[in-house]
Formats: sequence, C-alpha cells, structure tokens
Amino acid sequence: MENVLSILFCLTLLYIVVTSRLKTYVSILRTQGILLSAIMVFPFINHLSVHILIIPITSFIVKAVIIPRFINKIVIDLDVKRIVEPSIQPFNFLLLTVASMSVMFVSAHVLSGFTPIEPIPFASAFSAIIVGIYIIIFRKKLIVHVVGFMILENGIFLFGTSVAGEMPTIVELGAMLDVFVVVFLMGITINKIRSTFTQQDVSVLGRLKD
Amino acid sequence: MDIFLNIQGLFPFLFILGISPLLVGLINKQKALLTGRIGAPLWQPYFDLLRLTRKETIYAVTASFVSRLAPVVAFAAVLISSLMLPIGYVKPILSFNGDIIVFAYLLGLARFFQILGAMDIGSSFEGMGAAREATFAVFAEPIYFFTLGSLAFISGHTSIYDIYHSIRLDNPTSLVFIIVSSISAFFLMMTECSRMPIDDPNTHLELTMIHEVMILDNSGIDLFLYQYSSFIKIMIYAIYEASFFNPFSMQNPWLGFSVFIVMLLLLTALIAWVETMIARFKMKSIPQYLLFATAIGILNLLIYTFVRQ
Repeated sequence: MENVLSILFCLTLLYIVVTSRLKTYVSILRTQGILLSAIMVFPFINHLSVHILIIPITSFIVKAVIIPRFINKIVIDLDVKRIVEPSIQPFNFLLLTVASMSVMFVSAHVLSGFTPIEPIPFASAFSAIIVGIYIIIFRKKLIVHVVGFMILENGIFLFGTSVAGEMPTIVELGAMLDVFVVVFLMGITINKIRSTFTQQDVSVLGRLKD
Repeated sequence: MDIFLNIQGLFPFLFILGISPLLVGLINKQKALLTGRIGAPLWQPYFDLLRLTRKETIYAVTASFVSRLAPVVAFAAVLISSLMLPIGYVKPILSFNGDIIVFAYLLGLARFFQILGAMDIGSSFEGMGAAREATFAVFAEPIYFFTLGSLAFISGHTSIYDIYHSIRLDNPTSLVFIIVSSISAFFLMMTECSRMPIDDPNTHLELTMIHEVMILDNSGIDLFLYQYSSFIKIMIYAIYEASFFNPFSMQNPWLGFSVFIVMLLLLTALIAWVETMIARFKMKSIPQYLLFATAIGILNLLIYTFVRQ
C-alpha cells in the first residue's frame, strides 16, 4: 500500500512539471500533504496509538491545510499573476525530470541489493527532492520557489519513512517547524518587498540593495 | 505462431463493427446535453454513414491512384487490428505471440495511407494536416509502447489476449497499475482518435484542425470508409482501456461483460465531459502533453521492474 501511495506521489510530481497554473501548484501541494500523512499511518494501521498518530496528524494540518491556505492568501493579497513563468521549455523540463527519475529508480534498485530500503518510496522521495530543486532553478516567481522548497521537503519526509520505519518524533517535529517558519518568513519577505518590486520575480532581485 | 479461428471469436469483431457508431452517437449526445442542447439522435452516425454510401464519389483532377487506394487500405488495416481485441474472456479471431506490435503497426499503416492520400490530392491544406498528423503520431506511439509494453514485460506475454488475461485484481499493485495505465491509455485515445484537447472533431476551420483537414476532399464511399474507420478506432481504444477490467469475467462471464459495458459507458461520459470542459490546446503545447503521458508509461515500466524482482 505504501508503494501504491508513493506511485501516486510520483504522478503528482510529473503533473507539477507540466502544469503552468499557480492554483494547480497549491492543490498539488495539498494532495502531497495528504498522501504523505497516509503513507506515515499505513505501516502502523494495526496498532495505532496516540504517540504514532502525532506526526501524521501534525503533518496533515501543516502540509495539507495551513501552508496551502497561507500560499493562497499570499497569492490573493499580492495579486500575483496566476501563471507560472518558466525559464525553460516545459517539454525539455519534462524530459529532464523523466531522465532524473529513471536514474533515481535505477539507483534505488541497485541500492536495495545492499541495504534494507524500500525501493519505490526511496526512489519517489529522491525524485521529489530533485524536482523541488529543478523548480527552484527553472521558475522565476518567488512564490513558486516556496512551493519548490515544500516539494523538496516532502521528498525528505518520504525519504525518512522509506529508510527508517519510524523516525524519532522530535526530529520530524523539528523539521516541520523549520519548514513552517521558512514558508512564513518567505511570505512576510515577499509581502514586505512588494512596494519595491511589483512583480515578484527573481530576475529583479539583484537590484535589492540597502 | 498459431492463429486461432473460432466461431466465438467472431463475436468481438461483430460487436466492434456494430456498436462503434453508437459509441460516437453516445459521446455526441452527452456532449450536447452537457452544453445545454438536445443534440442529434443516438443513431445519427448510422444515418450519416448510410447517407454517404448513396453519394457519388468525386476525385480531384490532380489525384492519382493513391487517393483511390488509401481509404480502402486504411479501412482494411483498422478492421484487421480490430480482429485482435478480446472482449471479456472471448478469444479473438487473431491472437498470436507478438500481436501487440502488429496491432500498433496496423494502426500505423492506416495512418500512413491516410497521410499519403491527403498529400496525393494536391491541396495545400491537406498537406498541412498530413504534416501535423505525422508529427503528433511520432509523439503518440511511445505512449502505446510504454503502456502495453510494460504490461507485456510484467506478464511475460506478448499477445494482447494473454496480457489482459494475466491482470489480477487481488493485489494492490495491479490495481495501481490499472489506474496509472488507464490515465496514459486515455491520453492515447484522445490523441489517436483526434478528440478534443488535441484536435477538435467538429471544427471546419482548416488552420486549426489536424485529422478533419485530411479528409476534406474525400466524398462518397471514400468518406464513408474514413468515417467508419475513425468510429472503429474510437471503439478499439475504448476496448483497449475497458479491458483492464477483464478480470471480473473470471468469476462470471456475464459479470465481466456487464462490467465491460459499464466501463464503455463511463468512458463515453468521461470523453464528453473532457471535451466540454477543456479547450483545444495550442499546437505547440501538444508534444508536451503527449510526453506527459509517455512519462506516466515510463514510470509504469520503472515501477514494475521492482515488482518483478
């Protein structure tokens, strides 16, 4: 069942590469949050306890409810143009993503011979990390960079569940707090610089001086 | 190579021949209802075909024997490929090892002759349509091979009938495979049958269409052959998709058959819905759309190398 959810996770990654609407980005982020919390619950479905449920529930609230809502709020407040401006052809971007994904799956296949990892969640997690980095590299809008960062973080979460059955609670909660604060700060920053830069585009950020 | 000939195998063939115009009628009716119109009756495609048989066939003065040959070859190739598809657990007339490749290239042959016929007529519009059709066919072919190819790879069979036989519904991995494959199969169907996000079947503005522009100068029995083969093509791809739910007929053939019919009906509803909701893509974003479907197929293949180990 974990494998099934990981594959759906991979499908969301492919979709985020081809889509060009900000709204879809946010809804994909929400879907990924739901999938991740489900992946975390499934191995322990037979012996649930409050201790085990803390992380999935927190991640559901943060990843699937608060952060998408917050990003939507920023988009509405700042009146950001609703289309994602890529700096690369979508076709090439998709080719690049598929190539990297194949490399990830093959390396996961090789690695699973030596170490006890689950190959499919492992490969999807690494693909998510790479797609997140690609989104940060190839997109111009600041708010999309936040989404790319979130996808990267989702990949790290999935990676944690694929390597160890159960990550230490305090580590996961710490990571989640980190991400939340980063997204929050990014939102505040974007909000503050809007008087100087009307279009939130990284290409003009070089002009940001004291 | 062993070719099975049996009376039972005639049933899928006759089913495809008889029902395919009705399927198109269903799609058109639902499309009309969704946009708030009453629409043409369900049997309209049959009437259209009947009307075309009574019309005179006219050839352009620049046309050579190729444009006389092309509709017949295209129709025959589509007919033969429809002989290979199973419905439920009924064995098709043609079924042998490696028929997935023959199936793909028979459809390719049909398209090739259609392109040749379009270029032979000598109209510049049809040359343009032929060029577009050829370009998008290049991107559509990998979808087929990655989807059915990964299935062949997993099951270890290379015959369509055996592949669909080997799908089991009892493990969740098979289930997710069905989901993933049906997405890419749906994209393939929309492309190959030139439906809405790729091509608009209703438009008659030459600059925006792909498939319809190629048959602009055909009339009478030639147009009948082209129209009928495009109806059959939709049916073929609908069956290709609906057959993922074949395993239901393992318990009971009638259950399997009714699941199959329900799947066909759902598919027509889905096509009508997609065509109502989504506008036609810009020409330049079509390759990207098709590559997305191919990427889903590649993902399939990647995943199932793990499951097999």
